[in-house]
Amino acid sequence: MRFPYVVFPAKSDAAFPNRRLCARPLIKVLLRKGPRSLLTYAIVDSGADQCIFPASLATHLGITIPNPNTYVFSGTQDSPQIAYFDTVTATLWNWNPAEAAITFELYAGFCQTLEHVGLGLLGQDGFFSRFTVNFDSRNLQFDVSA
Amino acid sequence: MATVTPIDLTEVLKNAPAGEWIALSHDEGRIVATGKTLDDVLKAATEAGEEQPIVLKVPPVSALIL
Repeated sequence: MRFPYVVFPAKSDAAFPNRRLCARPLIKVLLRKGPRSLLTYAIVDSGADQCIFPASLATHLGITIPNPNTYVFSGTQDSPQIAYFDTVTATLWNWNPAEAAITFELYAGFCQTLEHVGLGLLGQDGFFSRFTVNFDSRNLQFDVSA
Repeated sequence: MATVTPIDLTEVLKNAPAGEWIALSHDEGRIVATGKTLDDVLKAATEAGEEQPIVLKVPPVSALIL
């Protein structure tokens, strides 16, 4: 299934004075837990070890955090970060009526440190381990296949 | 497989409040609600008639490396 990149507005800075936008490989993902669901974006991030979403999403899905399924990781911050994991049902679709949605069980983490980003990450364990992903950044598109 | 067109959110999000949750319409064509908390945004979106909005924040470029 082919997905387009999503283009966001971006501010210029000293390093990139001409930057006005930023294109990212994002997927709209429907997360379900029991009767509750939520549609959000997630970055397809081969550099992330796990699939992690902002903590607010867990609350809306009825997932209790903190919970015992803790995962301590580090990113760009010096201090360790904690994600709380639970299994959700994830559905991906490119909104092409000719193609069927991809639905799978995903053991996903939820953490406070992604709150300021407001997007999820689809990383190695659970996403890249399950799908073949081919990026075509030049044409702002990528393919996901089982 | 056919080439797909990038989803351009630059116009839709250009005046989006930084650091707040945003609910986009299902077709990604407009902001239906913004707010400090996800719950507030989802309630406002529902009241606006958007049953399944797409929720996100406008991420800072520097915040995307994990």
